[in-house]
Amino acid sequence: MSHLNSSKPLIEFRNIVKSYKNILVLNNVSFSLNQGDIFGYIGPNGAGKSTTIKIMVGLIRDFSGTLLINGKNIKSSYLELFKNLGYHPQEAGFHRWKTVYQALRTFGKLSKLENRFLDSRIVEVLEFVNLKEVMNRKIIHLSGGMLQKLRLAQALLGEPEILVLDEPLTGLDPASRYQIKNLIKKLANSGKTILFSSHILSDVQDIATKIGILNLGNLVKIGSPSELQSEYHIGNRIQIEFDNDIDILDQLQNLNYIEQSENKSANVIVVSLKVEADLDESIHDLLQYLIENKYKLRRFNLLTPSLEDVYLKLVQGENNEF
Amino acid sequence: MSFKILFLDELKGFYKSKIMIILWIGMPTLSILMHYLIPSTEGFPVSSLVAILISYISGMLSSAMISTSIANEKNNHVYDLFLIRPVKRYNILLSKFCAVYLCLIIATVISLAMGLIIDILTIGVPSQYFLEETFKSLTISFSSMAISCSIGTFFGVSISSIAAAAILSVYVGSQVSAIATLPVLFIESLNSVLIALLVAIPLTFTFLIISIVLFSKKQF
Repeated sequence: MSHLNSSKPLIEFRNIVKSYKNILVLNNVSFSLNQGDIFGYIGPNGAGKSTTIKIMVGLIRDFSGTLLINGKNIKSSYLELFKNLGYHPQEAGFHRWKTVYQALRTFGKLSKLENRFLDSRIVEVLEFVNLKEVMNRKIIHLSGGMLQKLRLAQALLGEPEILVLDEPLTGLDPASRYQIKNLIKKLANSGKTILFSSHILSDVQDIATKIGILNLGNLVKIGSPSELQSEYHIGNRIQIEFDNDIDILDQLQNLNYIEQSENKSANVIVVSLKVEADLDESIHDLLQYLIENKYKLRRFNLLTPSLEDVYLKLVQGENNEF
Repeated sequence: MSFKILFLDELKGFYKSKIMIILWIGMPTLSILMHYLIPSTEGFPVSSLVAILISYISGMLSSAMISTSIANEKNNHVYDLFLIRPVKRYNILLSKFCAVYLCLIIATVISLAMGLIIDILTIGVPSQYFLEETFKSLTISFSSMAISCSIGTFFGVSISSIAAAAILSVYVGSQVSAIATLPVLFIESLNSVLIALLVAIPLTFTFLIISIVLFSKKQF
């Protein structure tokens, strides 16, 4: 997109508010994305993720606030902006009587892609999503994973610079999830700006360079995965597995760098270190203490705080637990 | 431009659909069967009977077909992928309406041609009077079908349940489309073709416009 203004954010949500019949779905949502960002939009079901996405792709036009894409207000530039947007809907269906090729050809024509390049472009996107071998198969005969790839293929057809993917990994078997995840990573590496929603936190953590956490229509936090983890530092935790059943919690509580310890099973405990405790020093001291007291260790693992911890803290207000 | 793409697309989809296969094959077959099943038509042309029958059956089928198709595609989010492209919403509905209507017209013409062939083979070339009557019946059939299709479009857009959309469109479609034929049954002096057209055109347009307005306001 040669006309992109690199000094300004590519996408800007400014105080977006959306209600359905007096139910507030989005409450003053504001965030911005730069070119090349991979924005993971997470939140529980009904948080407003799909609504945000539908506003962005023009399926919902009745909202208040301002949405700028490359500095242009989406409300007045829908037709122009459509060209640079690829949308992978959560559950879009296709005309099931069509073949994969026929469906993509219709979308290509509707997107006003040049007829002479359309066939080669269809083959190109089908090769990218590994669907070329089924291009003449009827859509009714495609598996769930193939349908998800077809949704991605139609989003890529017009070579958009911005990709909006609504729950692209939901409902897929592990092999398909792995494939789609790799495709998203490949797209990200090619410089596309990607906004994708998910409620599978590990997926977001794997792919996103920026994360927004939405809860009950409010964007409660936005930042890079590492920023969120360090800002919401929950304290490192260590899981210790002993050779035999053990009762050690009271003794551990006396160590000044330990915040809390709990039994996960008769021979496994999880120790939460204090936030201010030095990690290396604490591990060293703890190991020394256990060895000096002749405890027989089977396993000693450091549990790094994950996005899930941050998410739970923000969305559910609950203490994390493994 | 998008109308043409969508219309050709819908046409491809409909002409291969199960309901259309019934119309393509079933209705002409009915023309032939009628000659053997009802031999006592006593000189009354098969083509006229076929035209009347088609008006009734096609009207019902068309309204059910279009309403279930729209409701189904709406529920399955088929339109989402059209609406994120430079496609006017009214083109989606109009292309579907026109495709179904054109398929019905073709099915009717084929059936009627079969009836005429049977007439020619059995009672000879039909008289001018019977041809005129057949033409009138055909015009009334097309008028009723247009009303039924527009009512099917309306229920497809406004109702999410596929079964409810089908039942309502068949029931209301057959009731309302009868308005095109009723006046001439009671007042013989009326021009049946003119009345059918005068009733069908505004009714069809009204239902289509309401459908388009509702569809434009719909949140996808």
